[in-house]
Amino acid sequence: MSATALEPAVRTKSDFWPKFRRNRNAIAGSIIVAFVVLVAIFARVIAPYEYDETDILFTWAHPSAEHLLGTDALGRDILSRLIVGAQVSLTVAFAVLGITLTIGITLGMIAGYFGGRLDAAIMRTVDIIFAFPEIIFAILLASIMGPGILTVIVSLSVVWWPGIARLTRSLVLQLRTELYVDAAIASGTPPFTILLRHLLPNIVAPLIVRASIGVGFIIMAEATLSFLGIGVQEPRPSWGGMIRDGIVSLRTEPYLALSASTALGLTIIGFNLFGDGLRDILDPRIKDR
Amino acid sequence: MLSYALRRLLGLVPVLMAVVVLTFATNHLTPGDPVGVMLGDQSANKVLEAKLRSEYGLDQPIWRQFVKYVSGLAVGDLGLSYRIVGAKVTDVIGDGLKISPVLALAATAIAVPLGLVVGVFAALRRNTLADTGVILALTMGISIPNFAMAAYLMYLFAVKLAWLPVAGWGSIAQAVMPVGILAIAPAAYIARLSRTYMLEVLQQDYIRTARAKGLRERLVIYRHALRNTLVPLLTTIGIIFGGLLSGTFVIETVFNIPGLGRLAIQSIFARDYPVTMAIVLLFTCFYSLINLIIDVLYGVIDPRIRLGTR
Repeated sequence: MSATALEPAVRTKSDFWPKFRRNRNAIAGSIIVAFVVLVAIFARVIAPYEYDETDILFTWAHPSAEHLLGTDALGRDILSRLIVGAQVSLTVAFAVLGITLTIGITLGMIAGYFGGRLDAAIMRTVDIIFAFPEIIFAILLASIMGPGILTVIVSLSVVWWPGIARLTRSLVLQLRTELYVDAAIASGTPPFTILLRHLLPNIVAPLIVRASIGVGFIIMAEATLSFLGIGVQEPRPSWGGMIRDGIVSLRTEPYLALSASTALGLTIIGFNLFGDGLRDILDPRIKDR
Repeated sequence: MLSYALRRLLGLVPVLMAVVVLTFATNHLTPGDPVGVMLGDQSANKVLEAKLRSEYGLDQPIWRQFVKYVSGLAVGDLGLSYRIVGAKVTDVIGDGLKISPVLALAATAIAVPLGLVVGVFAALRRNTLADTGVILALTMGISIPNFAMAAYLMYLFAVKLAWLPVAGWGSIAQAVMPVGILAIAPAAYIARLSRTYMLEVLQQDYIRTARAKGLRERLVIYRHALRNTLVPLLTTIGIIFGGLLSGTFVIETVFNIPGLGRLAIQSIFARDYPVTMAIVLLFTCFYSLINLIIDVLYGVIDPRIRLGTR
C-alpha cells in the first residue's frame, strides 16, 4: 500500500469541524458521551444519596419524589447507584484504554520498526491471545485472580492490547519505507526519536479512531464480567451487577433491571455512535475491527 | 492448497500448547487445597485424604501431573471434578455439550440470513430514511449487551404479555427468547458489514457491465453483487462465533439453561477448576478450529488471495 493512502482524510483542524457538524451520528454520540462523562466526574456531588446507604425499612420502593427511580433489595437509592455506576464503568474503561494503548502502541511500534526476532516474539504472543475468545480469556484470568475491579482491569487489558499492537505494527510497516524515515535514519537520528517524533504523529488518527470505538466494547465487557459475578463486587455499584440483581426480581420489581439496562445500553450506543462518527471523519478506510 | 492447510494446522500447535499449559497452571496455581474442600468435616480422616489425593493424582510431583494431564487430553480424558467428588469431567460437561452447540447453531441459523437480508435492503436504499432507520437499529443491536436486552424482553414478553416462559430449557417456547437474543448482535453485525460490502461491490465495473448489457436489476443484485458480498463476509464468521461462545455464558446464566456456559460460571464459584478449564479448553479449540477452516475456505473461494504470502 502506498503511503498516500495512510494520509488521514482530515489534515487540519479547520477541516474537522465542518465535517463533524455534518455528521449526525458524531453529534448525537458526543452529546451522550459528554453527559455520561460529566455524570461520572461529578457522581458523588450529584448523587442524592450515598451509593451504599441501606434502608431496611424502605426496600424495593417504587419511584417517588424521594427516590426518583425507587430503591433496591437493601433499600439503596437506585438513581444514586446508577450515577456512581457510571463512574465505576468509565474508570474501568479509561484505565483499560490507557494501559492497552501504552502497551499496544509501544510493542506494536517495536515489532513494526525493528522486525526480526523481537517482531516474531511479540506477534506470536498476540496470536496466542487472539486464539481465545475475548470474554473466555477474561474469565480464565478472573478465575485465577479472584473477582474484583482490579481483576477486570487486568484481564480486559490482557485481552485488549494485542488488537492495538497489531494495528500499530501494520501502520508502522506501511510508513517505514517512507522517504522522511530514510532521511531521518541517514542523518543519524536514533530509533527512539524516529519512532516518537516521526512515526507516532502519523499513526495517531487511526489509533484515536480505534480507541474511541474500543471504549464502548470495553464498557460492555466490564458489564458482562460484573453481570456474571466475576467483575466489580458489592457494595460498589456496577451496571452489570445491578442488572443481574434486577433480573432475579424482574416480575415484581422491574425498575432496577430496566433502569440499569437503559443506562448501560445508552452509554454504549453513545460511545459507538461517537466512535463511528470519528471514523467517518478522520479515517474512512478503517473498517469494523 | 493442501500444504497451506497443513501449515495452518501446524500453526495451531503452539496456540493449543499455550492453552493446555495455561489451563493446567490455572488448575494448580490457584490458591486452596481441593482435597481439603472435598473432605469437609472429614478433615481428620487421613485414610480418606490419602485415597482422594492418589485418586486425583495430587500426591504426584507437578511435572508428572502435567504429563498425566496432557496424555489424558490425548485420549479425551479431562480428569476428575472437584465439586462432584470422583465424577469424571467428561461426564459433568456431557449434558451441557448437548445444549450449548444447539443454542449457538440455532442463533447462527437465524442471524446469517436475517443479517444479509437487512444489510442488502439498507444498501439498496442508501441514504434514504429507511437506510438511516436500519443503521440506527443496527447500532442499537450491536451496542446493547445481551443481558440488558434480556431484561427488556423478559419484562415485555414474560412478565407484561406473559406470552413466553421466563426461563428454563426443554420446550420450543423456552428456546424462543434465548435463541432470539443470542442472534441479535451477530445479525446486526452481519447486516452492517453486508451493507458496507454491498455498497462497495455495487460500484465495481462488472456491475456496470452487467447493467449495460441489459441484465435485469434483480439478477444484477442476486447473481453478481450478492455473491461477491459473501466472500469478505466469510472472514467475519470467526468473530461472530467468538461472540456467540461468550454469549452462551450470559444467556445460559440469564435463562437458567443447563449448558456449558452456565456450568463454567457455576464451576468458577464452586472452585471446580478442572470443569471450568475443560470448558475453556473446549471453547478455545473449537474457536481456533473454526478460524482455521474459514481461512482455508477463504483461499478456496477467492483465488486472488495468494496463499502463504500474507
